Formats: sequence, structure tokens, C-alpha cells
Amino acid sequence: MAPRFRFLGKKRGKRRTGSRLVGSVGEAIFFGLLFLLGAVALTSLVTTQVINPTAAIYRPGLGFWLAVTVLSSFVFIGGAGVILTVLQVGVSAERRSAIVQRATDLDLIQDALPSQKDFPSIPREANLVNSPGVELAYRLPAIRSSAWKLTGMTLLALVATGFAAALVVISLESWFFGEFEWVLLAFAAPYIVCGIWTASYIVREIWWNSRIGPTCVEISDLPLRPGHEYAIFLSQGGRVSLAALKMMLVCEEESTYSQGTDIRTETKVVYEKPVFERESISIEPGVPLEMRESLLIPPNAMHSFQSGHNLLRWKLVVSGQPSTRPQFVRNFPVVVYPNVDGF
Amino acid sequence: MIEPLISLQFLSSDGAYRSGDVLHAEYQIDAVETDDVQAVELSILWFTEGKGDEDLAVHFFERRVSTDADDGDLRRLYRFKTELPNSPLTYSGEILKIRWCGRVRIFLRRGKELFFDQPFQLLPRQTNAEKQDDLA
Repeated sequence: MAPRFRFLGKKRGKRRTGSRLVGSVGEAIFFGLLFLLGAVALTSLVTTQVINPTAAIYRPGLGFWLAVTVLSSFVFIGGAGVILTVLQVGVSAERRSAIVQRATDLDLIQDALPSQKDFPSIPREANLVNSPGVELAYRLPAIRSSAWKLTGMTLLALVATGFAAALVVISLESWFFGEFEWVLLAFAAPYIVCGIWTASYIVREIWWNSRIGPTCVEISDLPLRPGHEYAIFLSQGGRVSLAALKMMLVCEEESTYSQGTDIRTETKVVYEKPVFERESISIEPGVPLEMRESLLIPPNAMHSFQSGHNLLRWKLVVSGQPSTRPQFVRNFPVVVYPNVDGF
Repeated sequence: MIEPLISLQFLSSDGAYRSGDVLHAEYQIDAVETDDVQAVELSILWFTEGKGDEDLAVHFFERRVSTDADDGDLRRLYRFKTELPNSPLTYSGEILKIRWCGRVRIFLRRGKELFFDQPFQLLPRQTNAEKQDDLA
């Protein structure tokens, strides 16, 4: 049996052996420490040389700006590295490669959808048709709400760590010179707690995302038409036991309106029908769950619609209920066009 | 003072069209002096109703001033036609509704404006299979 954790891995071309999870966490820790080192050093440099110049401490002269530049680059590279690492959680190398390829093929592939002029007010989602599937014609892009949450938490962690580092350094300097600024240290405490909490949240999310694995949905044709039936292929990877896994076809209306000085958005689900549902599933690493189903668009379905303040959106919603964790949900938007011969 | 009368009539019996159909219509203005009508605007448009702020888009628009009309009389019966688009179709949802209408707006002297809306429905186009079913 292979060990669960290896200190050394091999690199063959662009492929690597070893755990991607450990690699991602290690990368995030490295960039996080770089950010912390840069923030602490930059703060101490600025406070000892500019805000509270101290003759007892070595003054670098012209080298001051060089030091500021180098330490700022630590902060920038560390912060950007953490954000990029978090954004790439759960994104395979193939998908990253496909995104690069998409940029070159964009204009040609977009022609698979009718033009905006032929179907006014129907969103022309080029991202839907620029990713060919392996089993069926198109691979649908996923919208994961947790990705935005994770990015926000990462930014919060960076800001909190930066503030905490600056306040701690300044208060330690004051202690070193005999005028201890305990108020600054007290101010730093919430930032330290916030930084630790957000960092642990990010590590937990990265760990959990790697356990659930990617959800891939492919469809036989696009755009969808009312009354037509399509083949659907679902692949769910990871290492997890699920009490239930289901896919729903959902149509929702979304309206944005002004109320006083606020802008509010209301969403209402107007159609919801299960495409399939399975119970008691165990997914093993390297052996993704694969399912083929058929999807019927209701004959009287309204087409997708988008205007300035109103929206009618169709999507496939895959939700899984792990045995021990909260439910995970992944949305795959689709576009429904009205039935018109010749398009 | 009597308000001017604006009439807009679609030449379809039930006020329902399918996308791609040609909409034939006519409008006329009465109970106003010829010289009082400075311009007439005709629009075929859709707009939204419901919870959200209103969105509106014009599919067909024509503005006529007295020099565009025979003997300068904008009140006379005027016929027009336009091919209807594939979307958006008429829709009645829970918090969103999409309505189609023809709108005639007249501009009178001293900056006064009046308009009249005539609603109609835009339904999905019949596919070839549906047409054959109807014939059968």
C-alpha cells in the first residue's frame, strides 16, 4: 500500500507525482509566510526610518528605497501567490490548458450559437460552447459560489495579517525603546484572531474541495430548445461518501429594483424538476462516479431572457449531501432558445 | 377641450402573432386640428412588468412630421408593417412579465404629448413539424 504522505515527488514533463492537496497547501503556506515576512519587515523599516527615526539603528541611506522596493515585492508576490493558489483549487491542469486554448479559438467557436441579432434579449453565453466534452458534445462551465467566498476570505486574511503584523511590529519597537504602546498590541489582537481564523478556514476549504473533487457535466447539444430531449453525462470525482447526489433542472426569474436609495435583487424559482437522484454513493480516488441520463426541456418552456433589470435563467443544479459535512451545490447554466427552424 | 383620439389597429383577428410573422397595422388621429399635430411617433416595443424596474426595447420605430404626410395632414389613416423578431416572447411569470405593444405618440402645440398603447402577444414560431400537424 502506498504511503499517504510522501516528502519527495517526481516530475515528468508537466506531470507530478504526489498529493495535489499537500502541494496546494504547501504553496499557500509558502506565499503566506512570504507575505507575512514582507509586511513585518516593511513595517519595521518604515517605522524605524520614517515615522520614528532612531539614531541608534543603522540608517541605510539611498539603500532605503531599495529595501522598500524589495520588501514591497515580498508583500505583492506573497499576496498574489496566496490568491492565485486559492483560485486554482479544484481546477485541473487540463482545464487551465483549455482556458488558454479558448482564448485562441474564441471567435470561431462562438459561431456555434445564433447571433444576438437573430434572438434579441437572449444571453449569448459563449462560455457554454467553447469547451468540448469527452463523452458528449459540450462540457458545461460550473459556477461555484464557494469560489467567490474563498477569494473574499483570502483577501480578508491578507488584510488582517498585514494590519496585525504592522501593529505588532510597532508595539514591539515601542517596548524595545522603553515606551511600551500596549494599546497598539490590544488593537492588533482582533486582527491576529481574524487572520488565524480566516487562514484555518482557507486550509479547511482547500482540503474539503480536494476531497469532493471536480463535478463535470456534459450535454449532447446546445442551445436547448423547448420539447427537445438531450443526453446528459455527469462525472463526480473525489474521495467522499455521499448520502445523496441529485441533479435538478431549474428555471428562475431574477428582478433588480430600486427601493429608496438601495438596489435590491429578488430571485424566484419558477420551475424545478429532478433529472436524476441517487442515494448512498461512495466515490473512490481515481474512479469518478459516471452517470448518463436524459434531459427533457418542457415543451412550453420560456426561453432564457436578459435585460437591464430582469432575468430569466435556466440551469442544471448538482447537489450532494456528504455524510458529515454540509451540502455542496454546483450550478451549470444553460441557455434555452425558442423553437425556430433554420437556427 | 376635447382630447384628441388616437386609434391603432392590428390587422390580425386575435391580436396574437408568431415570431417571424409580418405585423400589418394602421393608425389614425381624430378630434384635433391638422395644424395642432406637429409630429407622430410609432413604436412596436416590448417592456417588462413585475417586481423589477421596467426594461423597454423598441423593435420598430418611425417618426413622421407634417412634411412626411400627404398635404401635411398627419391625422390621416396610415398603414405600416414590420417583421416581428424571434424574441423575447410574451411571458407571464411570477415576478417577471414581458409585454408587447404598439404605441402611437403624438406631439401637439405648446409641448403637449399624448400616447396610445395597443397590446398584442408574440408567440413562438411554429416549427415545420407543427405546421404539418396542423395541416393533417
